[in-house]
Amino acid sequence: MSRPTQGRIRPLSPNVQIYRPQLTSVLSIANRITGIVLSIFGVGLVTWLVAAAAGPEVYSAFHDIMASWPGQIVLFGGSFAFFLHLTGGIRHLVWDSGRGFQLGTIYRSGWLVIVASVALTVAAWIASRFMLGVH
Amino acid sequence: MIIDSSNQVARTTLLKRFPVPKNFGVSPESRISKGKTWPASVGAVNVKAFEIYRYDPDSEANPRLDTFEVDLDDCGPMVLDALIWIKSKVDSTLTFRRSCREGVCGSCAMNIDGTNWLACTRFISDTATPATIYPLANLRIIKDLVPDLTHLYAQYEMIEPWLHAKTIEPEKERLQSPQERAELDGAYECILCFCCTSGCPSHWWNGERFLGPAVLLQAYRWLIDSRDEATAKRLDGLEDPFRLYRCHTILNCTRTCPKQLNPGKLIAEIKKMMVERQA
Amino acid sequence: MARRYTGTGKPAPDNRSPFARATGLGSAKTGVEHWWAQRASAIALVPLTLWFIAMLMVHVGSDYATATAWLRTLPAATLMILLLAMLFYHAALGLQVVIEDYVHSSMKFAAIVLIRLVCLVLALAGIVAVFRIALIR
Repeated sequence: MSRPTQGRIRPLSPNVQIYRPQLTSVLSIANRITGIVLSIFGVGLVTWLVAAAAGPEVYSAFHDIMASWPGQIVLFGGSFAFFLHLTGGIRHLVWDSGRGFQLGTIYRSGWLVIVASVALTVAAWIASRFMLGVH
Repeated sequence: MIIDSSNQVARTTLLKRFPVPKNFGVSPESRISKGKTWPASVGAVNVKAFEIYRYDPDSEANPRLDTFEVDLDDCGPMVLDALIWIKSKVDSTLTFRRSCREGVCGSCAMNIDGTNWLACTRFISDTATPATIYPLANLRIIKDLVPDLTHLYAQYEMIEPWLHAKTIEPEKERLQSPQERAELDGAYECILCFCCTSGCPSHWWNGERFLGPAVLLQAYRWLIDSRDEATAKRLDGLEDPFRLYRCHTILNCTRTCPKQLNPGKLIAEIKKMMVERQA
Repeated sequence: MARRYTGTGKPAPDNRSPFARATGLGSAKTGVEHWWAQRASAIALVPLTLWFIAMLMVHVGSDYATATAWLRTLPAATLMILLLAMLFYHAALGLQVVIEDYVHSSMKFAAIVLIRLVCLVLALAGIVAVFRIALIR
């Protein structure tokens, strides 16, 4: 069907180039992007464990990198990605049970995911700063 | 910013399109070039611009985006009225499908201001300035706003949308209680306009094998029909990493359905059936 | 767009009828196991990751001795191993779906095998590291 009888290929109408980003599609791709980002952080987790197993010198080198301000920015980004994927994932699990599909509910839960992710990220960092002070 | 029904037009726009280059990943024959502008006639006061995708298969040119200035005082209130006005008063080569003009046949499905809807049930006053009209997304274009739906119809045929029953036909009708009949509500009303399928990013990337929300909605309609006896075979046919499981609950389908149906929800019900027969 | 794997790298001319194109190679009659495993590992990961984040916050800034002392405790070691297993299982399933979505050439199968292998290796590396911390003084 791409070709009529004359043989010239029919053009494909634009899709992602013109389709309006909506809360539905934007949160869905955000869930996928954060999932991929978290997979990379999984490598970081294993690196941390291997560093801990390798001895104090290796561990403190790793610790210093993560404590530096670029490392902290990376960790902040990673924690936001984590909370976005967590809340988005819970939203997905609710859908998988068959609930929450009315359009109003889809939008409300979507905004809740965004707000909760920001709130949880900020709360986690404030709490960890507090713990740092306590030590 | 809370949408309660799919016929709600978004009032605020944070992002009109995804931040990708205009002709991102587009093969040469599909690149859109600049088109002609057709100004309004002298004396027209209430004028609105419409940017419309054009493609002429009889010329060698690529698709283009033409701008038409429509006299709103001379034209009906719906986007379809504007298209008909353009065709009769300005450019008679503008080609589009239409029939019932009341939102029940599904012919005039197209992409208006970035989302798929029926042109005959979209008010011009609800469109942006200028209004942008593209054909349904990710389909081969025969001419102007007319997409080739052959593959979508073939996918529909594949799910065998008719009653399968070995039981001999009774004297009168096959009995169905009101509750059993109520199960079909929300699924039988689909007009097969394919707004949902054409708006599904998963169908964009995997449309060859993924059935898409419209076809899956109809698959569900036959799965829960109490008179149908082929539920097992239907589920076997759907249980495929591509046919059913390319659905990632993106939910663009529910957001865009011009008949306020909920394909996303019913696809989730199919997935629940898949799990239920495993346990 | 999916093409027939001709091996020459050029898309093969497709003269199949629309119905044949839609039917393709038929239904795989499988897929629910992958879907369910993804959901089950996700449910397991909710408490496991929250535990991990909480522990990170509690032990923030601690040195080698404190960190390894904590990892050496039975609950921490067990939950960490569970976390690693569930995390990389969930990641492997998810990344497989991503590759299936976007890769349509013959690279697809190689990519899926590679991703699963990498996730397995990472999970094992992490578990071995936990054991090493726990068993070796």
